[in-house]
Amino acid sequence: MSEESRNKQERFLQKIADRLGRPRLTEKPAHPYKGAPPDWQRFSLGQEERIALFSENWQKAGGHVVRLPDLEEAKRFIAEKVKELGAHAIIRQNQPELNALDWEQAMPEARIVVWHSDQQEDVLRYAAGADIGIAMAEYGVAYTGSLVCTSSGDRGRSVTLLPAVVMAILPAERISTRLGEVLAHFHGRPREQFPAGIHFISGPSRSADIENDLTIGVHGPGVVFALIVG
Amino acid sequence: MRPAESNTVRERARQALSDEFLRNAVKFTTERLRAGKQTASEEHGNWEAWRERARQIRLHTIAHLDYYLQEFVENARANGVHVHFADTAEEAAALTLEIARLRGARTVVKSKSMVSEELHINQALEAEGVEAVETDLGEYIIQLANEPPSHIIIPAIHKNRHQIAELLSREAGEELPPDTTALAGFVRKKLREKFLEADIGMTGCNFAIAESGSIVLFENEGNARMVTTVPKTQITLMGMERIIPTWDDLEVMATLLPRSATGQKLTVYMSGISGPRRAEDRDGPEQMHLIIVDNGRSLQLGDPHFQELLNCIRCGACLNACPVYRHIGGHAYGSTYSGPIGAVLKPALNKNVAEWDDIANASSLCGACYEACPVKIPLHDMLVYLRQRKVELGERSQEESAGMKGFRYVMSSHKRYGRALRWGRIMQKLLLRDGVIKARIGPLKGWNQQRHLSPLPKKSFRDGWQALEREMQQERAEMDELVRERLEHYRQKQEKGGKGDE
Repeated sequence: MSEESRNKQERFLQKIADRLGRPRLTEKPAHPYKGAPPDWQRFSLGQEERIALFSENWQKAGGHVVRLPDLEEAKRFIAEKVKELGAHAIIRQNQPELNALDWEQAMPEARIVVWHSDQQEDVLRYAAGADIGIAMAEYGVAYTGSLVCTSSGDRGRSVTLLPAVVMAILPAERISTRLGEVLAHFHGRPREQFPAGIHFISGPSRSADIENDLTIGVHGPGVVFALIVG
Repeated sequence: MRPAESNTVRERARQALSDEFLRNAVKFTTERLRAGKQTASEEHGNWEAWRERARQIRLHTIAHLDYYLQEFVENARANGVHVHFADTAEEAAALTLEIARLRGARTVVKSKSMVSEELHINQALEAEGVEAVETDLGEYIIQLANEPPSHIIIPAIHKNRHQIAELLSREAGEELPPDTTALAGFVRKKLREKFLEADIGMTGCNFAIAESGSIVLFENEGNARMVTTVPKTQITLMGMERIIPTWDDLEVMATLLPRSATGQKLTVYMSGISGPRRAEDRDGPEQMHLIIVDNGRSLQLGDPHFQELLNCIRCGACLNACPVYRHIGGHAYGSTYSGPIGAVLKPALNKNVAEWDDIANASSLCGACYEACPVKIPLHDMLVYLRQRKVELGERSQEESAGMKGFRYVMSSHKRYGRALRWGRIMQKLLLRDGVIKARIGPLKGWNQQRHLSPLPKKSFRDGWQALEREMQQERAEMDELVRERLEHYRQKQEKGGKGDE
């Protein structure tokens, strides 16, 4: 199929150039209107304003926000929720900040599986049956109320998708004002450092497909906590 | 499928108008979405500047499409994606079936994709014995009902909860209550199993980023994430014009698309997928295929009137703004895409001239679609061009031709026009009832079906013109020098511009 595709590609692109009435372009064209309007790119909020705006948007979308002083407190908060919800199965990302905390001791009654490439367990199946997924978000966006998680061998896409409840820890200093500031991290990033999955998450899974009636937790998690640390 | 039963827009519209639930549901939903967009665009501020920005980015990309598509494809290949090209819907379907065969697939789970609707991929898969399951809640419902979507964003807009409960109960093998939470809960459980057992996940593509070979998906339910996370193979169908050059440009699209579609600041999920899973990853597809589809899109390239059609980002704002759509809903358009964008896209994508008139006439040319469009596509102008082309190709009725001839005869001489007016004023006395004309005869038949025609006024504009002209000259003499200059300048400019298209 692949050689056929190469030949087809040439014809396909030539057809486009022909329709546009000029030879094929081989030089990168100047792109004078790249990105958001220039005024917008100067828009920037202070850290407390960013936290406030993120929280407002996240809650409006149906998510929960808690502000905590440090990671230890975040762990304690999650442990309380585990008890409150009677959660048994927990999946968490293999991130250094999370690994530094003693999870087993905080929630002895729950089973915690860590997502990583050498994990014996079928992590995807486990995540599909898990009650809670725990992850550190890499970025936050105040203006849209979004947190951003990327995939790797240590960070499963499933962890923020398959469990019924997701607890995402978001260090306060990682929240930027605009979406564009986060997107800029991926602009021009070398291929070997590029994650296969980049996920912007802005609240619980939802649908209004039945008579405009808002339903939460259709396929993804219905309960999402953003734990802002710092 | 139901809409195929009647062949003209007029018949389908009549059916839709007699369905009271449909009319109310469409009205309610479109108003909710329209109000959401209104609030979101006002809150964001500077909306016009953003629209213009988005338009410029789309114009630039389409004008250099061969370059950006090539850049995108090379990057996607380098990411490990198998890229395929399809000139037609048939080719795209054949490629999909070939991939399914090579992967030994029995079940395909799909997230919402208008391209796949356009290609009728589900039917093609089913014919080969491969089960294709729609996983967007609305799409799943209409798949069970065996109907096409009636709105780009809310596909099951025309179904009420009792009908939905009936459809889902049949699937569940037990009686489900007409309660949203219970119904959505059943679908979650049922489709969760499907996600886990499916061999292939199939998606559309909202945007394709040239600089990194990534595809970007916008959704609220999480089913597109499921489809790109769980199955071992992913197939993405993509219209060839979905490209944007860089990640920076995504900020503009991500600002306009959700706000224009539902009034959200961002959809719950926005996912950028750049190739199959990496060697050490434990989820995401092991193999990823991308099928780039033309299916009539290249016909728009280089066409001065229709190239901008390729700027569309499929937000559905024009549907919600359109007074015609809001009355008749999506099925009356009889095509995959409905509303003003559908009225232009359908004839543009398929060259069947005979169908043009039918669909392009389902518009009042009021321009609300253009006002609503986040990338400023002049849809109402395009509808006029479609009508014009059809006439140029000789596709019009004898009555219309005769009427136009008569109109030209009367209007090309002021004496004839004056005589016609006088004649009309006398003749209308025969038809006047209660101060209006209600007769449904000859050319008045269509117009008077829904309304009454006002009679010609006793004194026409022409009759009063001499007095009016004197008055205006007087005013001009009293006018400020500056204002007069500006007026003169404007008049000259208008005269120059007036030599254009007419």
